[in-house]
Amino acid sequence: MESLKVAFFCWESMYAERVGGLANAATNLAETLAKDHEVHFFTRGWVQDQVINDVSYHYCRPQGNNTVQYCEDMSNQMVEQFRQTDQKKRFDILHFHDWHPIQALHRLQDRETILTFHSTEFGRNGNQYGDWWEYREISGKEWYGGLIAKRVTAVSTVMKNEVMRLYNIPDWKCDIVPNGIVPRQYHANIDPGEVKQRYGIHPYAPLILFIGRLVYQKGPDLFIEALRTVCRDRWDAKVIVAGDGGMRQFLQERARDLPVNFVGYIPDSEYIRLLNACDLVVIPSRNEPFGLVLLEAWSAEKPVVACDVGGLSENIDTFVNGIKVQTDPGSLAWGISTLIGDPTNAEVLGRRGRAKVDRQFLWSPIANRMEGTYSQVCS
Amino acid sequence: MMTELENDKKMPDICIGFEVHQPFRLNRYFSPDPKKKEKDLDSLYFDAINREVLERVAEKCYVPATNILLEKLDEGFHCTFSFSGTFIEQLEKWRPDVLSLFDQVARHKNSELLGQTYYHSIAGCFGDKTEFMEQAGMHTELMHDLFRIRPTVFENTEFTFNNHIASCVKKMGYAGVFTEGVNRILDWRSAHHIYTCNDVPVLLRDIQLSDDIAFRFGNRGWDKFPLTADTYADWIRSANGDLVNVFIDYETFGEHFWKETGILNFLSYLPEELEKRGVRTILPSDALESYMPVGTVDVKETISWADIEKDASAWMGNERQHTAYSAIQKAAAFAKDKALWRYLQTSDHFYYMASKFGTCGEVHNYFSHHEARDAFKIYMAVLADFENRNIRFMKNKRSAKTLRTLPPEEAFHFTSPTGYVGYAAYSLDQFCDLLRVVPSDSIAYHQERGDLAQWIEHTLQDQKLAEDIIGRRDRQDLIITINQRREELWSRLK
Repeated sequence: MESLKVAFFCWESMYAERVGGLANAATNLAETLAKDHEVHFFTRGWVQDQVINDVSYHYCRPQGNNTVQYCEDMSNQMVEQFRQTDQKKRFDILHFHDWHPIQALHRLQDRETILTFHSTEFGRNGNQYGDWWEYREISGKEWYGGLIAKRVTAVSTVMKNEVMRLYNIPDWKCDIVPNGIVPRQYHANIDPGEVKQRYGIHPYAPLILFIGRLVYQKGPDLFIEALRTVCRDRWDAKVIVAGDGGMRQFLQERARDLPVNFVGYIPDSEYIRLLNACDLVVIPSRNEPFGLVLLEAWSAEKPVVACDVGGLSENIDTFVNGIKVQTDPGSLAWGISTLIGDPTNAEVLGRRGRAKVDRQFLWSPIANRMEGTYSQVCS
Repeated sequence: MMTELENDKKMPDICIGFEVHQPFRLNRYFSPDPKKKEKDLDSLYFDAINREVLERVAEKCYVPATNILLEKLDEGFHCTFSFSGTFIEQLEKWRPDVLSLFDQVARHKNSELLGQTYYHSIAGCFGDKTEFMEQAGMHTELMHDLFRIRPTVFENTEFTFNNHIASCVKKMGYAGVFTEGVNRILDWRSAHHIYTCNDVPVLLRDIQLSDDIAFRFGNRGWDKFPLTADTYADWIRSANGDLVNVFIDYETFGEHFWKETGILNFLSYLPEELEKRGVRTILPSDALESYMPVGTVDVKETISWADIEKDASAWMGNERQHTAYSAIQKAAAFAKDKALWRYLQTSDHFYYMASKFGTCGEVHNYFSHHEARDAFKIYMAVLADFENRNIRFMKNKRSAKTLRTLPPEEAFHFTSPTGYVGYAAYSLDQFCDLLRVVPSDSIAYHQERGDLAQWIEHTLQDQKLAEDIIGRRDRQDLIITINQRREELWSRLK
């Protein structure tokens, strides 16, 4: 493929304003593409424009009374900056991420545009429709973006079906390009016993880890109920719940008689330590468009027990690199008990997970898939 | 009708090869000793166990197996040997009598010697291939000096092979090269033919038939146990294709499987049983003349005969191995004494650092004289000591000091307020690389305490850089600053 000039529009990036997983995904994709293409990244930031790892970052400083207004202002500023760069040499591809820069997509709609859905408002709302104005405004923008973009990508089949259903995007228009990962960032040489002891856990006791926001979508309540069954058979099992959210109070109340340690929000370094020290990662989500935690757990060679939903359902092969269960506590409990009951096998599953990451989820093969979409738009 | 067809069917030839190698294992109890003179470094770096192992294997395998083969060679049996340079050195030092036995084998008209890297090294995987080619050249010289033979067919360390290595082998003028008959390069095709890769003919090892001897021979759980020479010869006879390449570690005969398993009897009866069935034993150079290549193979990703993965992961599978692998390449700049540097390139050192599980893990453990973690620590300590000793001969000592590889106790271990985060930098280069990987709060924590500047000033002894990075909080900013300095220092060493 010949070298293209590509513009990224995304409201967050790794080196400036950073909110969640979207920053990592967009930045890594941009940096990988920059090996063969000229990539400009339009985003928010209160720093000077800069070039990092061959990607040129153009920062804007938006304002607004609410999210919707704020994002419109951001989009307009992005378009101004885009035009300046476009004048010197015309962009071949304009790549938009999620709903925030849709206003920019609107203004540049006659160009070669691509919209990537990392998630939808419906999904972020726990797979439920909302009836307040922001919900409608944002879903409306998602629908409109899907309508005017020349091509759309989604991070998983489930995500693709979701946007096709919600926003009437035709099948031919939508490609699946999953997220990638840098496994080295999650795999560390740590003595699990030392980390466990810091949390008052015996080095040989099985440690079960949950990481994520404590909100309905992530299903921490299912997890806690499942633990009640697990701990009846395994008095030595210990659990760490990392992350914070609206449900924390409720969950802590429910888990009063269980060996669960709610550590709240933890810095990345502590996450790496826990991830590499635990014996099992549980992902009890009710909805998960992609489920990056899965790739993180696999990178650290950890087996997973996850609900059979979304991207998790697509990527996990049961009894090969993890266990998929139904979205209910009983099923989760069975999965967890199965893995902690057979630690040797659990380790094997974790290693196979890592092998799958090395085969399919490194950024360079992912970027190749994205190039496939680019070439369809260009031709 | 069927029987006639079967009789018509051409029987494949068999090409049997033996890998004969012993590494100079590193001293398990190594600690730096500045008082030691340069000429005594051998005893400081290398373990006394090397001699023990060689003498044990000589008694159990080299002497009895070679005596058997000498007799069979006289009777018309053909076989191939690949001796590593380090193995020959050990024989010269400790068992010259065994060397003279091998001398008879090597000069025998029915045997052939293969080329390989003198140090049985991983140099074939280096980005820069000159070192690899030099070591292959050294091996040729050795074979010529000792046996008056210049090998014409090549075998890279543990059959590691890819398109680049193929091109190098071609460039060095070999007539062909051995590698593993891995399914992913053959797809539906049979390993019993000759193929080419980048214009060089490739002989592919039959994995199954080789492992039947090398791994399964002593396995009581195997449904073919006990394997006898006549059964094995039947299998070869009934195979399809032009030729079957069976290549095994020579130590299989008497050392990996003791003589009590009947392995030496198997060896002595095999030639006869093959002959009874009309199966010809053939040498690789003859095979290359007798048979035309039937197709090409494309090997983008490195393959090898190791473990079940059949790739480079036995030597370059985990972070520790990667650390050691980049360190040894970098050490080229410090290697006044190239020989020592090259001993450290022997693949076995990396093999010992593997963290594999299952049966492959057991094999790794069987071969190693220490634990994977210790293997890595000792390796880095020896390499660091080696570089440190060489700095005084270098032109730009200060740059060299900053760029050198560090022993484990001086490496920078990234931590957080609660403990070690699992990443350690053994040099400025690796430090710079890890800055992209470690969690940002760990970097911030160290910067707050001034650890980075301290380490750079006192361990790497670069005051300028230490002052430069003070107060820089941003990861990217740090990376750029250190990278610039790093490149500047390297350019001074060139």
